[in-house]
Amino acid sequence: MHRIYNFISSMKTGLVLLLLIGLASAIGSSLLPSTFFQTPLFELLLLLLLVNMILCTINRIKRTSRVLISKPGSRVWLRQLGIISLHLGIVLILIGGLVYSTSGQNERIHLMSGDQVDMGQVLDIKHPFTIELDEFRIEFNEDGSPSQYISEVTVLEQGQAVEQVAISVNYPLNYRGVKAYQSSFGYLITTQYVAKNNTEKVEGFLEGQWLEPADTNRRIKIYKYIPNFNPEYGMASVSMRPDNPHIVFSVYEDNKLLGVGAAKINEPTQIDENVYITFSGVEPYTILDVKADPGLPLVMVGGIILMLGVCLALLAAPVRKKNSVQT
Amino acid sequence: MGSMLAMVVYVVLFAYLLSAILYFLGSKTGKENILKLALILAILGCVLHLAILVMRTVLTGMLPLTNGMDYLLCFTWITVLMYLLLTSRYQLKSAGGIVMLMSAILLSLVLVLMTGQLGSVAPLMPALKSPWLTVHVVTAAISYSAFTLAAGLAVMQFFPAGRSIKDDYVYLLVAGGFALLSLSIVLGAIWAEQAWGRYWSWDPKETWALITWIIYAVYLHVHRTREWRGNAARWMVIGGFVLVLFTFFGVNYLLPGLHSYA
Repeated sequence: MHRIYNFISSMKTGLVLLLLIGLASAIGSSLLPSTFFQTPLFELLLLLLLVNMILCTINRIKRTSRVLISKPGSRVWLRQLGIISLHLGIVLILIGGLVYSTSGQNERIHLMSGDQVDMGQVLDIKHPFTIELDEFRIEFNEDGSPSQYISEVTVLEQGQAVEQVAISVNYPLNYRGVKAYQSSFGYLITTQYVAKNNTEKVEGFLEGQWLEPADTNRRIKIYKYIPNFNPEYGMASVSMRPDNPHIVFSVYEDNKLLGVGAAKINEPTQIDENVYITFSGVEPYTILDVKADPGLPLVMVGGIILMLGVCLALLAAPVRKKNSVQT
Repeated sequence: MGSMLAMVVYVVLFAYLLSAILYFLGSKTGKENILKLALILAILGCVLHLAILVMRTVLTGMLPLTNGMDYLLCFTWITVLMYLLLTSRYQLKSAGGIVMLMSAILLSLVLVLMTGQLGSVAPLMPALKSPWLTVHVVTAAISYSAFTLAAGLAVMQFFPAGRSIKDDYVYLLVAGGFALLSLSIVLGAIWAEQAWGRYWSWDPKETWALITWIIYAVYLHVHRTREWRGNAARWMVIGGFVLVLFTFFGVNYLLPGLHSYA
């Protein structure tokens, strides 16, 4: 029993585990699918490292406690404190990661302007609340590249607005242990179609969806929204800014492709005799990642302790005299 | 602007290479004058190198930390600067040749792989617009420089000329590099949590930075033990530097991921 404990808690075992984790990561990141890092085998390695480091750190504290008590504030004392802190920081980070992998939650939500989502339905949380998207917008640089994605949201509790927050990349919402991140976005393409008897219908479509108008057996695939269309760029947009918005669509009859076209916004396109479609507008919608991670505070504290420890250990590193003889 | 910058890079490269040759020559013949000339060339190159960084800052309106080329320019400059500062206090003349040669090779990669980026001015993408960018990248760059120097010293230790280089110098450089790499990884994780919603994603850049970190962590634990002291420890320092290079170049070109801009 004693021997097993010694084996599990030894520094050698810890270093071998570290090297195994490094080797597995190298193979995993270059040769295997990214899900490798969530496989039980890899997680077991991390768990073993955690156990080893907890024991190792306790042993180290025990071993150096005499120094720590007898010479407070000395260089050796500071260095030991730094080394212990940095190990403790890693332990806390690993525990925090373990908490996330056992009870963390991560979901993705799509919101159009005006949409409300009850977070209690999305995540299993103690204090449910609602977020409503007031507006999603993309801001652009002069060259037409995106400068920021912003989702203006209102947080509601029991129907009462409690907070208004602009979620953007790097600036998530943080409310009652739930974080919401600006993750992605998409476009909803409003399409109008007129059939033979002049009936008009308006519907919203996502990229890649099919439109099947009445009075014709032709089907239209609303393929892609191109914000800044230039035929020379093909299906790619010159930039993301809507300087020349077009919708690329294809028309099929009996599963046979009849043609591909790019239509301007509000420009009617004839699909069949007396059947017209008009793309009347494009509205971007936001995609938010929402997360509840009870392990996050632990990881945060661990990270800070690790950083402090590593600085302390370095600043109090043993100094040798300039011209000391090598031993 | 790009072609003018490229010309300055060529001049710096020439200064570094010449300095490397003179350092090798000087330590072989033992002539102090040659070593002095090598030092002057290294200092001149370093000053001009700084001018490149200043020009990039003026050109882009932000510190040169936001793409792979600027990063390479920065950490190569810090490597030379760090060597010059250390050599003024410690006996590191014999490592001058290898350090200047390594710096020259790294700098030449700007011209070989990234020459088109010298004049490029691109606005920051949203994910990079964060106060964490500067601290994350600066700590990474200094750690890379320390590892480069440590590897240079370790290589020289294999040769008779490098006998004056003490294991302690290599150790302190690795310890410093390791501390800064730790800071960079944690600061990067804090940033990633804000930007991507995950503090750790096993993105290739993260993964290989961790692997690098592990090698140096093992070195710091075993470098004084009887089994590893000496050559084995030196090989670890050199191996760690190979991992640093792979984390920077290999991951960028072979393993695309979230760090596509670096």
